[in-house]
Amino acid sequence: MLHKFVDIITSLKLTIVCLAAGMALIFAGTLAQVHLGIHEAQQRYFQSMFVWWPPEGRGFRIPIFPGGHLIGAVLLINLIAAHLKRFRWSWRKLGIHLTHAGLIIMLAGGLFTDLFAVESHMQLANGDAKNYSEDMRQTELAVIDTSGDDLDQVTAIPDTVLRPNRVIDHWSLPFRIAVRNFYQNSRLRMLSQAGEGARPIANQGSGAMIAVEPVTRATASDERDVPSAAIEILPKDGGSLGTWLVSDSLGAPQTFACGGRTWMIALRPARYYKPYSVTLQKFTHEKYAGTEIPKDFSSKVTLIDPERSVNRDVLIYMNHPLRYRGETFYQAGFQKDDSATILQVVHNPSFIAPYVACVIVAAGLLVQFGFHLVGFSRQRRRAIA
Amino acid sequence: MRIGCAGWVMRISKYFILVLSAALLVSCEKNSEIKVYRVSKAPLEQSAPQQQDAMPTNTSAPRMPAGLPPAAETAVTTPANWEAQPLSQMRQASFLVKGDNGAVADVSFVSLGSAAGNVLENVNRWLGQLGQPPITEQKLGEMAQRLQTSLGEVTIVDLAGLPDNADPARDGRIIAAMMTTSNATLFFKMRGNADLAETQKGDFIRWVAAVCDAQTQAGPAQIAEAPPQTASAPTIKWTAPEGWTEVPPSSMRYASFSAPAQDGGKIDISIVTFPGDGGSDADNINRWRGQMGLAPVDANAVTSQVAPLKTGDTMFSTTDIAGNKTRTIAAWTRRDGRVWFFKATGPNAAIEKEKSNFVKFIESVRF
Repeated sequence: MLHKFVDIITSLKLTIVCLAAGMALIFAGTLAQVHLGIHEAQQRYFQSMFVWWPPEGRGFRIPIFPGGHLIGAVLLINLIAAHLKRFRWSWRKLGIHLTHAGLIIMLAGGLFTDLFAVESHMQLANGDAKNYSEDMRQTELAVIDTSGDDLDQVTAIPDTVLRPNRVIDHWSLPFRIAVRNFYQNSRLRMLSQAGEGARPIANQGSGAMIAVEPVTRATASDERDVPSAAIEILPKDGGSLGTWLVSDSLGAPQTFACGGRTWMIALRPARYYKPYSVTLQKFTHEKYAGTEIPKDFSSKVTLIDPERSVNRDVLIYMNHPLRYRGETFYQAGFQKDDSATILQVVHNPSFIAPYVACVIVAAGLLVQFGFHLVGFSRQRRRAIA
Repeated sequence: MRIGCAGWVMRISKYFILVLSAALLVSCEKNSEIKVYRVSKAPLEQSAPQQQDAMPTNTSAPRMPAGLPPAAETAVTTPANWEAQPLSQMRQASFLVKGDNGAVADVSFVSLGSAAGNVLENVNRWLGQLGQPPITEQKLGEMAQRLQTSLGEVTIVDLAGLPDNADPARDGRIIAAMMTTSNATLFFKMRGNADLAETQKGDFIRWVAAVCDAQTQAGPAQIAEAPPQTASAPTIKWTAPEGWTEVPPSSMRYASFSAPAQDGGKIDISIVTFPGDGGSDADNINRWRGQMGLAPVDANAVTSQVAPLKTGDTMFSTTDIAGNKTRTIAAWTRRDGRVWFFKATGPNAAIEKEKSNFVKFIESVRF
């Protein structure tokens, strides 16, 4: 039994099956981007253990194919196990060992990047300063206690928790939040413009005058979903403060009082606060003379970190990101009218893995082919002699 | 040897799978974890010197309608007692005003898309926030005030009410201004302690006018004089006579009042200031005559229509121009590089009756 298991996980056949499955997955995932968009396709095909049918949200689902995480993990185990099983130290196999080690680091690095890297954006107009970046793909229900003199206490509830009929009970809140409706993507219209038959899903705040219409998920790379939810505020000492509409497109937070404190609620892009701030001093967008073709765009920012007494100007431009406190700020884009710059903020603890892996694989291949070349040359010389 | 090696592989694989599972578990938890953190209300430190006096904008509005320049590009001076606050997602400006006994008021400027609802819907929403019942279009017409700016007409409402469980030091009144352009709806709002909001109302309305004017590159509509710079004008004090009501000033005005006249008419009283000398007396008097449908007079004849008025603070020039039905009385003075015009226009009889009050008003002005 044990032998059989070891044989399976160390077999070359398993490697071939995994590689073939990976190719099929990449092919299917690439085609799926047409309908799902790149982000959703990545989530369903590559950042999952299984590809499910039908997709989530239809009551039931069946795994129909291994997902990227599963294929990658099996391939990694297979690679390590096979290497350990057949490992025989020899200088002549140094190249093989190095190449395998590089591949293992690359696969593990890819997996850890997938699991732990966080990508977000910081949009700044000239003169703006921010100490947080925003996740354009994830939203959060921010429940803010504004009664403090100097500090607001924020309870950030991720949208993955906002599911219909779910009641959120958290120690930081003197009330429970009952989710009555949740729409991953929606369109908001004033009741007066929504036509007859339209009904609000909330009875408090601005939501009482707004009709919410569910729409299909955004798939284009420059589009975003507009999540909306109807939540009922239930004080822990009993009663109800009514149902409120929260939506990414509502903009201004809504206010209510509970437990002697004033609260604000807003559904907004998930925020990642930082112990430092970035101020945009100047955004430059140069074009080739007489054309609209971008030549260069750059952002001159001021980095201020009171904890470390840092106050310096940095120029961020293509291939010259700002790296600070484990985060990398890339020049990612700009508003169409050049009114603001968009910086991509990447926190990736395993960012070094691909670089190390490439160097090791290259060294391994050089050594391996070097041995062969030397051996071949010797044989040739002997033959000539 | 083969079994030993296989056992080693098994052990390594077992630990590896455990680590992998833990990592996957952590990654799943990462997206469903409720976080609690605190953020400072204070504005972020900005090292850009050009931003020191500008409206603070420590966040940009991701969905700000196109074509509306961010407030950061406009240097709008705010009252000294308004403390800049960190901005929420859609706020282009945010201030906290502190009064006595812990009273506070929150001032905000929010820009939304053009389909952000009509005035009545928003007023009823604000009334709902104050725990008050909605009103009708007719009632809104009675209570709303209009403010002319270079960006367009702004509707101003003043709402009172204290919602249940609310802290009266922090709530009880909303003074809001709203206007819709072709591609945006602008909301200005002051919400807080009722008495504090009352004392801040004038500053709030002047700030609304200044922000609206600053949104247009051309600035306020041009007239004979240079555009006024009321936002940067020094503060003056006066005592308004009994019966006068301060009304929202237009973008051109430093302050506006209204006094009742017979037959339901009104006297319009204004204070306008410009940098420089504001043109010659002849030019100004003839411009006012033209507004009343009167023919201009010769520059030499103007002198006879100007009378000096000495107050405890300065020397004014005054004039009295009577048309067929309307009459204008005006006083002006030039000091510290600026000209100040005080003018009352209304029906002949009403102006005659109000003239003594107007003189008292001029005498009460302190620079």
